[in-house]
Amino acid sequence: MFRHVFIYRLKCLIRDRELVFWTFLFPIILGTFFYMAFMNIGNNEAFHPIDAALVPGGEESFDAPFQAVMKEVSTGKDRLFNLKQATGRAEADQWLRQGKIDGYYTSGRTIELTVKETGMNQSIMKSFADQYRSASAAVTRIASENPVAMKDGLLSDIGDQHHFVKETAGGSAEPDNLLNYFYSLIAMACLYGSFWGMKEVTDIQADISDRAARVNMAPVHKLKAFLAGSFAGLLILYAEILLLLAYLHYGLGIDFGHRTGYVLLTAFVGSILGQSFGAFIGAIVKTGEGLKIALLIVVTMVGSFLAGMMYLNMKYLIAEHVPLLAWINPVNLLTDAFYALYYYDSLHRFTLNLLVMCGFIILFCAGTYLMVRRRKYASL
Amino acid sequence: MPVFKLCMKLFLRNWLSVSLYIVIFLAISIAISATSTYEGRTGFRQEKAKIAFIDEEKTPLTEGFRQELGKSAEFISIPDQTEKLQDALFFRNVTYIMRIPRGYSENMLDSGSMQIEKTVVPNSAENAYIDLHVRQYWNLVRLYAKHDPDLTQQQLAERLKQNLAGDTRVTVQKQKQAKTSESFSMYYFNFLSYTLSAVLILGISAVLMVFNKLDVRRRIFCSPIRHLQFNLQMFSAILLFAVVSLVVLVGFCFLLDGKSIGTPNMVYFILNATVFTACISGLSFLIGSLIKNFSAISAVANVLTLGPSFISGVFVPQEFLNDTVLKIASFTPTYWYVQANANIARLTDFSWESLQPALSAMVIVLIFTAAFIALALVIGKRKRLMS
Repeated sequence: MFRHVFIYRLKCLIRDRELVFWTFLFPIILGTFFYMAFMNIGNNEAFHPIDAALVPGGEESFDAPFQAVMKEVSTGKDRLFNLKQATGRAEADQWLRQGKIDGYYTSGRTIELTVKETGMNQSIMKSFADQYRSASAAVTRIASENPVAMKDGLLSDIGDQHHFVKETAGGSAEPDNLLNYFYSLIAMACLYGSFWGMKEVTDIQADISDRAARVNMAPVHKLKAFLAGSFAGLLILYAEILLLLAYLHYGLGIDFGHRTGYVLLTAFVGSILGQSFGAFIGAIVKTGEGLKIALLIVVTMVGSFLAGMMYLNMKYLIAEHVPLLAWINPVNLLTDAFYALYYYDSLHRFTLNLLVMCGFIILFCAGTYLMVRRRKYASL
Repeated sequence: MPVFKLCMKLFLRNWLSVSLYIVIFLAISIAISATSTYEGRTGFRQEKAKIAFIDEEKTPLTEGFRQELGKSAEFISIPDQTEKLQDALFFRNVTYIMRIPRGYSENMLDSGSMQIEKTVVPNSAENAYIDLHVRQYWNLVRLYAKHDPDLTQQQLAERLKQNLAGDTRVTVQKQKQAKTSESFSMYYFNFLSYTLSAVLILGISAVLMVFNKLDVRRRIFCSPIRHLQFNLQMFSAILLFAVVSLVVLVGFCFLLDGKSIGTPNMVYFILNATVFTACISGLSFLIGSLIKNFSAISAVANVLTLGPSFISGVFVPQEFLNDTVLKIASFTPTYWYVQANANIARLTDFSWESLQPALSAMVIVLIFTAAFIALALVIGKRKRLMS
């Protein structure tokens, strides 16, 4: 009997085109839009050599050393500038107006910088000129106090570039913050699965829907029918989430880290969380389907917003200032679990997220059971 | 005017779902206007990179270094715990984590090879920026240590402070800039396209859907009202709804951004929004004649409003988008609406020549409008003939 109900519920659920759209197609479409909108942003954050120009001041003794330094930092793969040599101010001004360069230096007794606007590239240009000036100041000072230093290679030492910093990895993966959008999208899809859960409860309580009235007439134990239906819903939801994960990973190249097994486990727990949440809301709210749907959408949307789906830094702000809210937001728990799997070396935070999710599932299931059990209808 | 009145009743029935969009839109707009300040900056301002600075030794040299770094970095204090630091880097609360190991200053003075540890967003501009400062400071330390070895750490720090004092003179080439350039109004009007599309599609197509039901249509056919009269009433109801939506949404802009109201740019912003409203009304008309049930409208409305907003520069500015994406986006009216907005925001003179790019974009939106309406009419005619 269990198999019979399960198979028919499966057929019945999968024909609900509207639900399939919202729980499956919509996240895929939204993911595609995310990808199209964000694929170029990382590139924007990266450092590109700055387009700069140099206008000689006319005094060879001042122009030559600065020009030499500029040339040195404008060659090679790790160069700081794409240097253009201007014949005069007028030409450099024109380049600046046309946006061909970010700024230009005029060398001479003192180096000056001309820019069009304030920005990171312009700040780097200014810092570079500062550096040149302070190095000259230091050389002059040392040479005046210790004239022998010039013979000891002071000038070659100043140009001697050392690596004072070494890079250490922050975590097991690159801090690609755009991933959070996709993680919260998967979390949203899991929570949208609550519609399946709600449908199950609606179709088992005889005072809510006609189909439930029919089911209650049948000689099947209510819990058995409910469980069979729920498993059918869960199967569909998990299959949808797996397809979504496959599309994001293989289609759009979203990185989930190297712990594939745990990622699939998280998706599974997330599906149960979504399903049980829907069932719980379906059981606890008695009046009106509109209100139930509104509640599910509001919780999912507000949860997604707080987990950083619309505004990335929201997740961080909440975790910093209202940590409790981060731990009771089911969308955030899921997003955070994916994030922890991708980014952290240890599984500590992931386990914690998973445990809290399981806590929620137990709470929702117990609540639903207490609401739905032993409800008999004297008259239909 | 029975048809007009019925339309009004139907609009009112949907007011909850429509106003939800308006409330969300306003909340986001207010949040944006509250967190952003659009002050016209004059003169040069050194950018500051956000860094987490962890000094494990605190010597006069590292302290001097911290002070020098402070000119171009904003120090964010984060507890020295791996996960907290990782989180801050991931969410760009900092873009550079710097750790000076114990014994570093002494090692530098002895021309040793110890290194400062950094964890960064790979290849970022902030990374190059801070590295430049690190190199500058410690290179000078090495220089002094080699050629003036008698200096104490304290004296050396003081000497470096003197060397590093003073600023390179920066001239900012003045250019006339429009008041609305990069202003709240520009972002508001861009974002308006999302809300306006959602409100109009949900409102208008829901009404048309009712009229397109076969039974209702048959009932209308046998009513003593002329077809032209019926259409006129329906169109005027739709027009009223569109105008009210536009006025309400634009009205809030006046409340939130007082500075831009007086500019002539605002007139063109509103003109552009009006053209866009006409276009989306046409699109809603088309959707209303194609779709039969309300839940499908909700799905179509979501996809048709979110999609163009993502790829046309409403949520993510056009300059950050990939060329291929923008090419695809140019097949949507939203792209041209955003283009016109960006052009209008930058206008400082209003000659025909400077207005032309914005106006051509608006003409393209009008062509979309004509296409949508023509398509809707053809489909409507076909349905009428079939029923």
